[in-house]
Amino acid sequence: MEHWIYSLNLFGKTFTVNLDTIFTMWFAMLVLIIFAFFATRKLSIVPSKLQAASEALMNFFYGTLDTMMPSKNRQHVPFVASLFLFILFANLMGQLPLRIIHLKSGELASPTNDINVTASLAILVLIYYITAGLIAKKWKFFIHEFSFQGIIMFLVELLEMFTRPLSLAIRLFANIFAGEVLISICLGISAKFLPLPVMFFELIVAFIQATVFMMLTIAYVSSAASVEE
Amino acid sequence: MVDTATVTEFAKLGAGIAIGFGAVGAGLGIGVATKGLMDAVSRQPEVAGKAFGFFLLGAALAEACALYGFVIAAKLVGLF
Repeated sequence: MEHWIYSLNLFGKTFTVNLDTIFTMWFAMLVLIIFAFFATRKLSIVPSKLQAASEALMNFFYGTLDTMMPSKNRQHVPFVASLFLFILFANLMGQLPLRIIHLKSGELASPTNDINVTASLAILVLIYYITAGLIAKKWKFFIHEFSFQGIIMFLVELLEMFTRPLSLAIRLFANIFAGEVLISICLGISAKFLPLPVMFFELIVAFIQATVFMMLTIAYVSSAASVEE
Repeated sequence: MVDTATVTEFAKLGAGIAIGFGAVGAGLGIGVATKGLMDAVSRQPEVAGKAFGFFLLGAALAEACALYGFVIAAKLVGLF
């Protein structure tokens, strides 16, 4: 669970960088880019296996967006799909035998095992849904009608701008981190094969958490961008 | 004043309490979700697949509340 921390001196200030997280994150991005590259080569009417799989994946995104966002939902597909795929690959990477590779300090794990990654994803979602709301409603996104109820709603939405990214970040981080801790504890008890069922459970958790993150993102964007009558 | 060793011991106690009460809430939540799934499936067996997907989502959201407690517990015992 320890990170390989690298100190960086920039502009007279000291920044610390978790190098192991950066490497695993780049690896997840690389896998994703290679998948996207080969999935979009030689497209044809009669799809190959990879094309059929990726089309099924896109249909999953379209279906989810259609059920949760009534109108004008196609423009959000790239963001939502890349979020889902990145989180899925990142979560699944945690079950690779990465601990064979010995680092100077710390150990390699899933990149979502680091709260910095999940927090940056959550802040990305915050910026995205505020922008979507501003585009859809202009300045009425912030200012409702001037009444008691409107002011209360404004305060609640102001609070939500902090709590939504916080809960998004901590939910994803805590699930993956708890899985890692559980596997470590199972290894520490006695048997070498005791973590196996936990690791299978973690495979399911990876899918579920990616889906939950995507669905909450869609719900936030949909509530921000839908025009109320 | 209490010394540092006592504070560390009591932090472990606090970690146990945090994860315990968090697990109570998540257990109740997942139980209610399972009850809802059983009700739905026994009333309409053909929606079983679709309902199970929503059940997994709700269970994951309920479980996350226990994991908030877990993060606080890990922070208290200095796991990260």
